[in-house]
Amino acid sequence: MECRSVTVELPHRFGRKRIIEDISFQVRSGEFLTIVGPSGTGKTTLLRVMGGLTSPASGSVLVHGKELDGPPDNVVIVFQDYSNALLQWRTVAANVAFGIERILDRTDIEQRVRDALALVGLEKNAEDHPWQLSGGMQQRVQIARALALRPDVMLMDEPFAALDAMTKASMQDELFRVRDRTGTSFVFITHDIEEAVYLGDRIAVLKGSPGRIDQVFEIGLPAPRDQLSTRQLPQFLEFRYAVQQAIGR
Amino acid sequence: MTHSRLWRQYFTVVAAALPPARGMLPLVVLLGAWQLLQTGNSPYFPPPSDWCNGLVLLEKSGRLYPALLATTMTMLLGLAVAVVIGAGVGLLIGVSPRFSRAVGPLLEFLRAIPPPAIVPVAILFMGYDERMKLTVVVIAAIWPILLNTSSAAERIHPLLLDVAHSFRLSAVDRMRLIILPSVVPAILLGIRIALPLAIVVTLLVEILTSVEGIGALMIGAQRNFQSPQVYGLLVLIGLFGLFVNSVFAVFEAILLRRWPPKAQSENF
Amino acid sequence: MDERRFFAGINWPGTAVFVLVGLAWEVVIRSGLLEYEYLPAPSAIGLGLGQLAREGTLAPDIAHTLIAVAIGWTVAIAVGISLGFLLGLSPTARRYSLASIEVLRPMPGVAFAPVGLLLFGFSLKTEMVVTILPVLWPVLVNTMGGVSGVHPRLYDVSRTFRLSRKDTILHVILPAAMPPIVVGARISLSLALVLTVVAEMVGNPEGLGYGIVREQQALRPDLMFAYIVTVGFIGIVLNAGMLALAETVFPSSRQLRSPQ
Repeated sequence: MECRSVTVELPHRFGRKRIIEDISFQVRSGEFLTIVGPSGTGKTTLLRVMGGLTSPASGSVLVHGKELDGPPDNVVIVFQDYSNALLQWRTVAANVAFGIERILDRTDIEQRVRDALALVGLEKNAEDHPWQLSGGMQQRVQIARALALRPDVMLMDEPFAALDAMTKASMQDELFRVRDRTGTSFVFITHDIEEAVYLGDRIAVLKGSPGRIDQVFEIGLPAPRDQLSTRQLPQFLEFRYAVQQAIGR
Repeated sequence: MTHSRLWRQYFTVVAAALPPARGMLPLVVLLGAWQLLQTGNSPYFPPPSDWCNGLVLLEKSGRLYPALLATTMTMLLGLAVAVVIGAGVGLLIGVSPRFSRAVGPLLEFLRAIPPPAIVPVAILFMGYDERMKLTVVVIAAIWPILLNTSSAAERIHPLLLDVAHSFRLSAVDRMRLIILPSVVPAILLGIRIALPLAIVVTLLVEILTSVEGIGALMIGAQRNFQSPQVYGLLVLIGLFGLFVNSVFAVFEAILLRRWPPKAQSENF
Repeated sequence: MDERRFFAGINWPGTAVFVLVGLAWEVVIRSGLLEYEYLPAPSAIGLGLGQLAREGTLAPDIAHTLIAVAIGWTVAIAVGISLGFLLGLSPTARRYSLASIEVLRPMPGVAFAPVGLLLFGFSLKTEMVVTILPVLWPVLVNTMGGVSGVHPRLYDVSRTFRLSRKDTILHVILPAAMPPIVVGARISLSLALVLTVVAEMVGNPEGLGYGIVREQQALRPDLMFAYIVTVGFIGIVLNAGMLALAETVFPSSRQLRSPQ
């Protein structure tokens, strides 16, 4: 997946405001790319452009070399507000099936739903309704819904921001498990620098108004990553410092 | 889940929603006092026991049940039509801001006309028959349903629409899978508000025109100075309203069991 | 600059549709395109209004209806607020009366018309019988809800400042419960108008309600619609007036403009 010189303008009070400008980067296959930046720099806008929900004023987004024309097949967005992104009146299983129910036939759907639920550990909750579940579980339902499509790229907009620290930690590791088993690429937005360093293979720093990619860091931390030991490594702290500096400047 | 468990669940829901039975005390005391104090044959305030006799007389004359049936059928049919039209137009308004703005002032104007005022208009246009009665009920019941539906359709969380866009739903699928389920609680709320309205308008037409129904029976009894029957029918209407409302409340609770509890909250 | 915003704020497409429908209606009837014996053109309705005003029938009818509404509503809110207050303050009283209220509340006002006629014949009192009970409920229920819903923290505050019972009620509970009480009173007012008109249609042959029915029976649709429009207009004025009054006297009630 690739962004080439993407610029996005949105209607503002008296005309149009340039939200992000001249964004260019590539997302490698199987990579975990995190995007950090202070709030208001257009991180969500960038994600929406990549997901095909908004069109750029100039520049283009390409998936497998082809330009986007609306939401692409193999790219899925996971939103931060899980409660309003799920269909609360459907069961968990029906929610997970939402993306594929019009495309596949019955047996395939059932299989994919089962696989997706297994990936996020919610097999036992298939017949519950989202409003009966905790925040972390609801977010996992959304992730499962995305996974059921077997996407090439998962775009995640601060998905764990609304969760408590412990749930957040376990969800981060869950993402690693998913990545290891499916080989999906992740584009992960967060304002939590530690999360960005822990999760990312690369970190893109978005800052300024209009937002621009200031720096891209290669995170050379060893895999598999672990909540306790990785976060203690001196390189972890160095990366964290560097990213923090990049944002603060 | 076995059937008996489901039933028990539903009844606990209903029972919990009911106010405690001892709250009937004021009414019981009132009726009891009335019964005891009315010893003579007052034409104006017959005791409750006379009311029962009056009703029994009506039943024996064979006029009670047909009237009850007529009132109920008109009310239900009128509501059904009102739901279809009201929800349909409400969805249109809620989904399309342009349509909403265009139709807005016209609707505000029509809404200001109180439903009872429509009755003479309908009588003039359509004469004294069942069709007229039905039309009036539809016109009266439509507003709460339409307004609730349109307001809920406007308020669908934009994220849900993003999800629809992101999964590339066709407009039809979006309406069917996302918008319609989202507004179901609002439609039910609209029906709950429209129910007493439908009853009132049905009775009004019957009292005004003596078209078949409980209202017609009532005004007939009044003209013949049969006061026990008038009171008896009044109580009957009260019970009828209570029954219809509770049946609907149960129906609504059953239908809404898949929605988050907030959707079931009471709204004045 | 404010003018520009004002013009931008007007709903142009909506007003246009409204005006166009009115014009189309006028043209269609006038030109004879649609022969509907009982559907008058808007101009005819306007003329009808003028005629009624000139004949001197409109003003007394409006007065009668307004007086009836005023009496009914005043009695209803007096009883409703007092009872509502008592019930709101005492959970025991509530437990012993809630079921009765729930049973009586859905009683349609119009069903009381035959009873009223039986007791009082054709008179203002019949209108009261029809109006008062149903109009009682919105303000009673809202007062009860408002008073019982006063946040317990406020009670703590009044105890901390050692307020007497009377002062607590007057200075803490009453203002806190005002918004829903005002909303209830407003709903009751609209309801009072509707019920009074109903009572005049089936009970007491006087006032706007009777005007509607009278002209309907006389086969004068233009006058009938004139009366209906008057009723609608009065409804809007009453509602808006009450809103404005409430927000001036009790600014805290602005929080609750219910979208009824």
